[in-house]
Amino acid sequence: MNKSARALAALLVAGLSLTACSSSGDSGSGSGGSNDAAAPGAQALDQASGVTGVEFWHSMTGKNAEVLTGLVNQFNAAHQGKIEIKPQFQGKYDELVTKYKAAVQQKGTPALVQVYDIGTRFMIDSKQTVPAQAFADKDAFSLDDLDANIRNYYSVGGKLQSMPFNSSMPLLYLNTDAFKEAGLDPAQAPKDLDELGELAKKLTKKDADGKTVRYGFGAAIYGWFVEQLLAESGTMYCDNDNGRSNKAGKVVFDSAQGARIVQWWADLVKGGYAANTGRTTDDAQAAFKAGTVAMHLESTGVLRGYTEAAKFGVGTAAFPKVTAADQGGPVIGGASLWISGPGHSDAEKRAAWEFEKFLTAPEQQAAWHTGTGYFPVNKKSLDDPKDKEWVAKYPQFQTAIDQLKATKPTPATAGCLLGVMPQARKGVETAIEQTIAGSKPAQQALADAAKELQPAIESYNSSVG
Amino acid sequence: MPTAPHTAPRAGRRNRWGEHGLAWAFLLPSLVVFVLFIGYPLGRTIYLSGHANDLFGAPSRYVGMKHYTDLLTSADFRRTLVTTALFTLFTVVPGVLGALVLVLLLENRIRGVRLLRSAFALPFAFSVASASVVFAVFFNPASGVLNGLLSHVGLGPIGWLTDSRYALVSVAVTTVWMNLGYNVLVLSAGIGSIPGEIVEAARIDGASGLRLARSITVPMLGPNLFFLTVVSTVHALQSFGQIHILTKGGPDGSTRTLVYSVYEKAFAYGSSDFGTASAQAVVLLVVVLACTAVQFGVLERKVHYA
Repeated sequence: MNKSARALAALLVAGLSLTACSSSGDSGSGSGGSNDAAAPGAQALDQASGVTGVEFWHSMTGKNAEVLTGLVNQFNAAHQGKIEIKPQFQGKYDELVTKYKAAVQQKGTPALVQVYDIGTRFMIDSKQTVPAQAFADKDAFSLDDLDANIRNYYSVGGKLQSMPFNSSMPLLYLNTDAFKEAGLDPAQAPKDLDELGELAKKLTKKDADGKTVRYGFGAAIYGWFVEQLLAESGTMYCDNDNGRSNKAGKVVFDSAQGARIVQWWADLVKGGYAANTGRTTDDAQAAFKAGTVAMHLESTGVLRGYTEAAKFGVGTAAFPKVTAADQGGPVIGGASLWISGPGHSDAEKRAAWEFEKFLTAPEQQAAWHTGTGYFPVNKKSLDDPKDKEWVAKYPQFQTAIDQLKATKPTPATAGCLLGVMPQARKGVETAIEQTIAGSKPAQQALADAAKELQPAIESYNSSVG
Repeated sequence: MPTAPHTAPRAGRRNRWGEHGLAWAFLLPSLVVFVLFIGYPLGRTIYLSGHANDLFGAPSRYVGMKHYTDLLTSADFRRTLVTTALFTLFTVVPGVLGALVLVLLLENRIRGVRLLRSAFALPFAFSVASASVVFAVFFNPASGVLNGLLSHVGLGPIGWLTDSRYALVSVAVTTVWMNLGYNVLVLSAGIGSIPGEIVEAARIDGASGLRLARSITVPMLGPNLFFLTVVSTVHALQSFGQIHILTKGGPDGSTRTLVYSVYEKAFAYGSSDFGTASAQAVVLLVVVLACTAVQFGVLERKVHYA
């Protein structure tokens, strides 16, 4: 009895491990009818009775969430009795998409949802949304105020799919004190990977025992940086012009350029000139803030946190090119806002669109920019007096403005549009780890990652037809 | 009393229905829970493991055993199984043996032994999340305690969680520490229930120290040790929290155990591959059952139940 009871207990515990996988519902995808993709006009709200509630899923935390809540309150107050935006934090970008998928199955999508840049292809293929372009056309609303590069990222077939909201770019961050200590001029920031590698060697500092007290370079093993470097060199990440001319059928990051980037990174780590803090961005940020890393790659979004926390001079420079001759630029990252079609009333869709227009207006984007450090998606925000004051206070941010101005919208800088982009990013991260561990050369590691990804791409493409 | 033999059979027959009914009535709540939370998910998992998924993770078409045959031919999955086996080995053996050594040492009459006993049981009170975060701080490559200590003896720094050679061991060490409290608790209780006269008799025969431990204490702890081995094995096979917080299965998949692989396929990186994840979950169930069955079949024969 005792024995079988324990066996039963073991079985119960084992069974629990299975429950995690069973949360997907029965219903298939809701197919978007032709009406669902049409944008309602302004009369939809006028005809609506009472308050139109808009459920809004987002992934903002901390300071960013505070500023967002402020903007939502401002909008709700201005539309008292007509529209109420109800923001709901749904976890990190990845988690939000997982929840969104479950919501599609249960036919309970939110009216408005914030999705990260690399979820763009999936959101289009989900056929659950009304393109922002449809609303803009209906209203004859000009999208020209949007920054060209940002607009380029979220446009497919020349049509804006979603409204950009929080955009960021990578920068090269410098510990200017470390530069001065090593007799270097922080104004002469490295422009390409070779220069960066040379400087990293000079900036690496060891103590009397030979222990490294400061690494020349250090960044999180984050696939985003490789995507950025490829774009800087004008190289595609996936085929069919980064999935822009036609649906991408395979990734091409295992190019000579890709291998060069990954090998460069691994060699710096193996040579003892770069810190390896793993994939966690928090750990890489902590290393830079602690002064144990002299040069560092990160998003513009952390600039304010760095200048507040660091006990040394924080400098910024343009994100490096791969070689001096490169003509590309960075891919604008971040997230955009999608309006749901199927299962939502015209009034809801319209209310969500009104909120999108509000959020991307010059004044609100200036408030968002100065409050968070995200890049304003509206060009006019940079002329806002408050914004000008902020940039004067944080001159490091001028680097980001100059960097984006210098970038011409091309398929390379538009970034790869791929349904399984999150998995592709993970594959590149694994390739970096393998190259650092020395188990494979960069070229091989990237080629293996691409090969491993192929079934996922094919299965994705076949499931969206 | 003398009338009892006459009335008993009749009453018994009448009562049997009632007793059975009562038994079922008592069992019903747990049966409902069992079917609802174990039976249905199990059936659903097996169903999902035979289906491909659409964009949103819903089952789209029947593919038979494809997910299983894919797993069998996947080098990645073989590596996951090996990692799982190593992780189990690295956590169960040191966890149980370490607790045994501690408990035997605590048998010595030293000052403050009760305090020590409580102290060693303390990790039991830690949640997986907080323990993992504490160890993440220890293991931190730049500012961690461990590399700080190593630097004093002129070694390191070691990428405890960022070097694929050390990551699995680092996560295992964390897990052993977390399990130690419970293991010490169970073994302490076991030692407490060893009849005093047996120990007394052994001592009269002149046994003490190691001899007493080897011939009396450890054999008498057999049932407790067996219980811990089974439970720790199942726990190790299902560990998730510490892996998720410390390494997320990396670097280069070196800490990707079976459970973590299930999570990755189903929920991480926008994958939604519930078919493959379910097939892996079924494999996990088979592995857990097989381990438990082997342990009951082989180990339990050697256990002495007092």
